[in-house]
Amino acid sequence: MTRRAVARTLVYLSLIGATLVVLLPLGVVVLTSLKTENETASGSGALTLPDDPLNFDNYVTAFRDGGMLTAFGNTAFILLVSVGGTVLIGSMTAYAIDRFTFRLRKLVIALFLVAALVPGVTTQVATFQIVHSLGMFDTRWAPIALYMGTDIVSIYIFLQFVRSIPISLDEAARLDGANAFTIYRKIIFPLLKPAIATVVIVKGIAVYNDFYIPFLYMPSQDLGVISTSLFRFKGPYAAHWETISAGAVLVILPTLIVFLALQKYIYNGFMRGATR
Amino acid sequence: MNRRTIHVLATTAAAALLLPGCTGTGGSTKGADAKAPDDPAKVSGSITVLTVRTDLVQDGTMKRYAAEFNKTYPKVKVEFQALTNYEAEIKIRMNTDDYGDVLLIPAVIKKNDYPKFFASLGTVAERGKKYRFTDFTTVDGKVYGQSPVGVMPGFVYNKRIWKEAGVTAWPTTPAAFLTALKAIKAKTDAVPYYTNFAAQWPLTSWTYVDGAVHCDPQATTKLAEGDPWAQGSDLRVGDTLLYDIVKQGLAEKDPTTSNWEESKPRTAKGEIATQWLGTWAIIQFQDAAKKAGVNPDDIGFMPFPAQTGGAYCATVGPDYNQAVNVHSKHKEAARAWIDWFTDKSGYDKDNLAISPLKDAAMPTVLKPYEEAGVKLIELDDSAGARVKLIDDRSEVGIFKPEYRQDLVDLARGAKKGSLDDFLSGLGKKWTETQASVGDR
Amino acid sequence: MTHAGTHTPARDTGKAGIRTVAPAPGRADPPPAPRRARTWRLLTPWLFLLAPLTLLITFTYAPIANMVAYSFTDWDGVSPELHYTGAENYAEIFTREDLFQVFWVSGYYLAASVIQIVAALYFATILSFSIRFRNFFKGVLFFPSLVNGVAIGFVFLYFFQDGGTLDTVLGLFGHHSDRAWLGTPASANVSLAGVSIWRYLGMNFVLFLGAIQSVPGELYEAAELDGAGRWHQFRYVILPGIKPVLTLTVILSVSGSLSAFEIPYIMTGGATGTETFVIQTVKLAFQFNKTGLASAAAVVLLLIILLVTWVQRRLVPDDRVDLV
Repeated sequence: MTRRAVARTLVYLSLIGATLVVLLPLGVVVLTSLKTENETASGSGALTLPDDPLNFDNYVTAFRDGGMLTAFGNTAFILLVSVGGTVLIGSMTAYAIDRFTFRLRKLVIALFLVAALVPGVTTQVATFQIVHSLGMFDTRWAPIALYMGTDIVSIYIFLQFVRSIPISLDEAARLDGANAFTIYRKIIFPLLKPAIATVVIVKGIAVYNDFYIPFLYMPSQDLGVISTSLFRFKGPYAAHWETISAGAVLVILPTLIVFLALQKYIYNGFMRGATR
Repeated sequence: MNRRTIHVLATTAAAALLLPGCTGTGGSTKGADAKAPDDPAKVSGSITVLTVRTDLVQDGTMKRYAAEFNKTYPKVKVEFQALTNYEAEIKIRMNTDDYGDVLLIPAVIKKNDYPKFFASLGTVAERGKKYRFTDFTTVDGKVYGQSPVGVMPGFVYNKRIWKEAGVTAWPTTPAAFLTALKAIKAKTDAVPYYTNFAAQWPLTSWTYVDGAVHCDPQATTKLAEGDPWAQGSDLRVGDTLLYDIVKQGLAEKDPTTSNWEESKPRTAKGEIATQWLGTWAIIQFQDAAKKAGVNPDDIGFMPFPAQTGGAYCATVGPDYNQAVNVHSKHKEAARAWIDWFTDKSGYDKDNLAISPLKDAAMPTVLKPYEEAGVKLIELDDSAGARVKLIDDRSEVGIFKPEYRQDLVDLARGAKKGSLDDFLSGLGKKWTETQASVGDR
Repeated sequence: MTHAGTHTPARDTGKAGIRTVAPAPGRADPPPAPRRARTWRLLTPWLFLLAPLTLLITFTYAPIANMVAYSFTDWDGVSPELHYTGAENYAEIFTREDLFQVFWVSGYYLAASVIQIVAALYFATILSFSIRFRNFFKGVLFFPSLVNGVAIGFVFLYFFQDGGTLDTVLGLFGHHSDRAWLGTPASANVSLAGVSIWRYLGMNFVLFLGAIQSVPGELYEAAELDGAGRWHQFRYVILPGIKPVLTLTVILSVSGSLSAFEIPYIMTGGATGTETFVIQTVKLAFQFNKTGLASAAAVVLLLIILLVTWVQRRLVPDDRVDLV
């Protein structure tokens, strides 16, 4: 074996090791979700295969009792509105920050940045009062407003892209008599397509996975979203590993599908965003 | 433009700063009553009932209660909201007036503030004739809440395993109890005692040994006035027992990953021998036994191993008390629900619990208690508010998981120190705060 | 430990935006635009920022202002009464040792961040060269950062259980451990920090990978021609190319470590010495009803995070990373 070959082997070994570390915990959950209540109650080992590998009862239980259908519906609605809003708001912010110099510009940037550093849990009581005074409590609008309100990530991604759009395009359009809004609508926004794809996915996944906000702001049974429905399995009196696992798999599955279908955009977005 | 932005900022900030002044509870409705309706057929409105029983909402049991309720009150629509993390969530919501029509009185609300948050259900004189636990929610002679069940702390245990270990009579002292657990460890495969450390609240229930150890109805008052961990005090006896159980290796191997749900079938099947919980748990353990295909009669219940005057003693207390939101638009309907749920729903029987009605018979699960002559007492709660205040101020948290998690960690050796130092440290914090709180 | 940030190039690179600066007096001005047009132009960026700033102020800054206000009171979080106590809460925070002890726990997360960054760099580097099944590995490494946090909590609770996944796997390798993974403070914190590595590594990795791939290919070729080995390529070509992202990641890791919350909260609730500063704050507010004190603690945490960010910028000046 040459030194090169050894190095290569080691590299592959490290990759396979990492793959195992990532997939093992998830794989076990899939296994558990296929077991019966008695199998888990009798302490069947984590890696033992289920007696019946096609036992989807837990999924039925999780889906039906967990109100997953409603949850998916609510999540879809919140996703659509808040992601749409985020795209508009993020791109407008990026455009304003990058293409204009104005007083307080630095302050505006700082405001968005500091917001990203605030641990949200700590301001909960005050936030709740504001949401309630706007009459949004226990409606789907509370999470939507909160998701759109502070999103430094999407602003950041848009900023990278706006910056890479040559300023000469704006200039040319302005000579043709276009005002700032037309430039934004006709030139910047269409050119942001790849960034929009990224933001939609990244923000979409963040919204889809968020737990604390819907947990707090939408207590009604019929306003459950994916995360809260999953968490409700773990009430003080109600939880079974096999059902929880099935619920977890149900929740992770759409993420996996979206990821496999759109990974190109996800990577590109991050990579373009990360570099300049 | 810039000036305008600053102006906007300033107004928002000012508005924000004004908010704490009005914490959402208008004093205007203070002192409202929720009267019981005269004619059930006429009461109408839609009410939201908040509950901690996520399981009953999830499996449709609550809906069935509501359907039953509608037979008497056809025009009232009942909706349920089950809160998983009740105390934290309700606290945030109670800053507004949007906390359901019927809710469970949270621990966070100071007793003297009850009239600001809840509508009264009547005077203590009239309600006390019919119901138990009225003084737990009485402010200035008016009652603000009613628990639908009475609960009694005690050990849930597997009779078969205890028998196999050769223990047939309930232990009468902590030392005898430890001996029994050792016998279980030696002669059976069961885990003698299960702490349920990870679920947190089962550890918290060890505070409810208070009153039972010395059969003292004034136990709560004593907490407010002295050192709860003084030598020989109820809490010290209880905490020492828990410490010894863990220290002597009689509890589960890894408390941190204990699992409450799993503990039920495991206890039913005899993999776990004993847990300190309460009467409310019996039904759940019996259900777990049925599901696992073992005999539900193996589930037994025993009092704390201490006798006063030759008799065991157990305290009966309320579970969460249901109350009517003072801002509710349908107070009559809300009141109707509480009355019906307390008197007629059968919720107490469904849970094998002690009835909140004074003239009701004891549930059959407590037959062994009657046979053994266990004395049942109700604690006087007049100092309850003060105890809560001292508890919060001192950050001891006798009704919070942390203190006993620390105790278990101490016994396992995951935390350094001695039991005496730990308990006297708690006592010091407590009595110092006591002095500073004064007589408020 | 999320990723965020922005970097604006130094504004003096000659790349001026549309000039909207009002001409300074006493200078030869371009012919003045009509007043209305100028007002309009000054107004334009604010019109674009109207919605974002309104949302930002309503849902982030108003609550923060509120929180600061509460931090000077003894409010319990629900009672209609509250009293102004001046700086008492702050005095208490800085005089009570036990409130600051929890920051030691952040040390575990900080150490985890270091491992995480190094590992992410390593994987990003090797996957930027041609490797078989490259996309598969890329996907596997990245996927955990997309998984729902509640699900992660459940997955790993099961993982660390007595006789759970971890014990079973170790058993396969003939190592029958009898340890309680979450049983002692050190072991529990290491386990939780491990979970946070599992969860966040992918995000760092993808950011680094993007940065590496944007390094122009000819630089590599030049390095190859000079006979540089892989290490030299990494040291002299890759590292300089990803410095901005690296700086950003480090800042966010530090602030993330200080405000670690979700994983320990879902998994242990802060038991057995796994309490972080944020968990402690939540406990003060919701268990002991000291909303005033908890608000003060949150303000202190925010200031610490801002300070760390600022210090870092002083130490590693990078004109391409514009952080406050």
